[in-house]
Parts: sequence; C-alpha cells; structure tokens
Amino acid sequence: MRCSDVERLWDEMREGVEPQREHVLAHLRGCPECQEIYRENEGIAYCLTCLPLVVPPQSLVPKILDHIKATVKIAAPDSIATVESPIGRLYVAFRHTGITAVALDRGEGDEPVLAKLQRRLGRGLILSQAPQWVTDTVAAFFRTHRTDLEKVDISELSPFDQSALRAAATIPPGEVRSYGWIAEKLGQPTAARAVGRAMARNPVLLLYPCHRVVDATGALHQYAYGVEIKARILALEGYHPARR
Amino acid sequence: MSALAAPFIGDHYRVTAPATVSHPVPGPETFESIVDDYQRRLYGFALRMTGNREDAEEIVQDAFVRAYRALAKMDPQQRAELRLQPWLYTITLNVTRNRLRSKRPTNVALDSLADPDALLNETQEGPDQPEHIVDRAADMVLVEQALLQLPMHLRAAATLRFIEGRSHPEIAEILNQPIGTVKSHVHRAVRILRRILGPQVGRIVQNDRPAAAEEEE
Repeated sequence: MRCSDVERLWDEMREGVEPQREHVLAHLRGCPECQEIYRENEGIAYCLTCLPLVVPPQSLVPKILDHIKATVKIAAPDSIATVESPIGRLYVAFRHTGITAVALDRGEGDEPVLAKLQRRLGRGLILSQAPQWVTDTVAAFFRTHRTDLEKVDISELSPFDQSALRAAATIPPGEVRSYGWIAEKLGQPTAARAVGRAMARNPVLLLYPCHRVVDATGALHQYAYGVEIKARILALEGYHPARR
Repeated sequence: MSALAAPFIGDHYRVTAPATVSHPVPGPETFESIVDDYQRRLYGFALRMTGNREDAEEIVQDAFVRAYRALAKMDPQQRAELRLQPWLYTITLNVTRNRLRSKRPTNVALDSLADPDALLNETQEGPDQPEHIVDRAADMVLVEQALLQLPMHLRAAATLRFIEGRSHPEIAEILNQPIGTVKSHVHRAVRILRRILGPQVGRIVQNDRPAAAEEEE
C-alpha cells in the first residue's frame, strides 16, 4: 500500500464498503503525510456537506409548469378533421393557433393516420368536424395555390425547419426550386441535405409547399406520398417539367 | 495519533444518499408531481454548479421542459425502464453546460449563496453570538467560491458526490462515464479544493466542531 493508493482510496472508504479499509488504516497509522492529506480531504468533504441547503423560491414550481405549458402546450390535444380536396380526402389537424398538420387519406382508416400524426406532433388528437376557417384555408390553397400562413402553426418545429419551410413558401406556384436554393436563401449554402430532411419532416403538407422543392437536376426526388402525387400537385399548380 | 482514529475518518460525516423517490411510471400525466419532487434538488444542484440564482432558475425550468418533451415521446416500455432521478440530473447538467459554455468564463457570477441573513434566521433559537454566525457565513462563501473555481467536469463530480450525496455508480450513470473516471474526477476536485482552501479548511472544521477539538486535548 503506497501513499498514492491511499489517497485514491480515501473517498471509497467513506462509502464504508471498501475491503481494503484495514490496509489503508494500517498505512495511515505509519504515515504522517497521508494522515495530513486524509485530514484535509475529510475537511474538504465536510465543508462541502456544510454548505447551506438552498431553497428555490416558492414561485419556481408554478413558473416551471407555466413554462412547460407555454412551450409544450400541456394537455391540449389538437383537433383533427377530414376535408375533401382535388387530390383526395385530407386529414387536417388544427388548434386555435392554426393548422398544425395535413395528411393524405390513402384509405387505411383513421387509426393509423392519427397514430402517425400523434407521434409526429408529440400530443393527442381529437377527431372532430372541420370549422369553417379550416375548410376555407384548404379550399383557398387549391383555388389559388397560395396559403394564408397566419392560419398555419409551425411554431413547434425547430428554428431551422421553420425557416426552411418559410423559404419554401416563397416559391411561386407553378415553379420549383432546388434544396440548394433554399439552403442559399437561409445563408447556409452547404445545408442542402439538411433542407431535404426539413422538407421530409414538413407536417403541413401542401400548405407549406415542400412539393415545390426538387433536387438540383430538377428531378422530383421524393415525397411523403410518392413522386406521382408530387407531380400531380405540381401539375395542378401549372408546373410541367417538359416546359422548363 | 489518537486524533486520526476519530473523527476524521469517514464514519462521522459519511455522505448519506437521500432515499430515491419512486414514481409509479413517469409520464406527462404525473409530471406535476415529478416537478414537485425534484425541483428543490435540481435547483440546488444547478445553483452550486453556476453560483447564480437566476441561472439556476432558468436551468431548472429548461431542464423540466426537456424532460417533459422527452417523456412525451417515450413509449410505455421506455418510461417503465427509465431511472428518473439520474436522468433528471443528466438533463440538468447538460442544460447547465450549454448555458455556461455560452457565457464568457469571466462572467462566472459570484452571488453569495450563503446569505448571512438566512443563516441568522435559521439559528435564531440558539444562544449563538451573531459574530460567530457571520464568520461561518463568510467561510461558506469561501467554500462556494472555491467550488466555482473548479473546471466544469470536476465541479460536477464533486457537487454530485459531496453535496448531492450520490454514490460513485450513480454519478457514473449521471455523467455517463466509467466509475474509474468518476473516482479520479472526485479525487482531483478534492485535491484542487485542498490547494485553494488550504489552511482555512482546518479552521472551518474546528470552528464548527468545538467538541471534536476538545477531544484532541
């Protein structure tokens, strides 16, 4: 047993389960230097345990809960309703702050669609009727191919995803842009792949027109419901690849 | 060397780990009670790590929001297997780290946490002379500031070990480090504190434990 071992074992011994305890004690009895270190270490540990217990202000718990409510919107599930559209029946999730998700009904029934959206939104969904402003927003999109973004709530997405989607929303209907174009617009020219992922995560299909974002060669690349649907939506908007 | 046998070897003030609070299964529904149960502990930890009340409050708020979000995304199996207390410490530590990293190092604030008034109130009952109490408060400020001088990872290890009273395996889980690393960090932290506080340690201990001092005679 050397001095350095003893110093190392000091804290373990404090746990009271160190099998080498007797060896350490034996060493200590014969080594004034280690005794000194020991005494000082115990002193340090003692000083630290003596630090006054700090008590958080009474306001902390309500503040925490408010903070969670504000950022997570605790216990407030979104509503979800179906809305008819030229490309088929849509599921539209919404709350008073705006539309939060759009999904295409592909005939698999409510359950799987809701489960998928709940996972994506991280909160519950209650099946209900679409209020007028929701059907109007969707109808307006298919009529004008533009969205009143005030009616869409993407505030829970990451800042990057939000700005990527906002950039996508500046692409005029009937036109497409590349992932790299959006990356440039965001001032991060090398972030084309990240833009691709942000588009893939877009919960508000159509209303934030991720379908107008294509790869650098102009190929449609990918879409949540397949490139055929992407092509159909673009065609509705007046975009035809052949005319480029 | 009878002074060595007692009271300086571990037994007298061995770190005691407070019992772990257990919840049925943590989740968004039980979150309010989780906040209730852990806010004091996490606030204390954040305060010792930052030395600043404002930072500590914001860190704890942030940490709970992150925890809530993460819980909401877990499936029932993951929630059942979650070890809540170390997990919450880990989150709090990560938030603390990010926060301190974004601050200038010179900004490490030195609010005095050992509030002399609070100490006076605490011990008003006894016949203590105020002078003695103020001395003690000043000593505690020295200890606090010494702790804040440690590098982040050593401060985390020392705080968890001696102030939060966690065991080596628990700290290893919280810091996601091997137990050997934890032990060596604790050890290095103590060595640095010894260097910073030096002879003052002996005085603090003596002042605090008049009975022990007499025994040595």
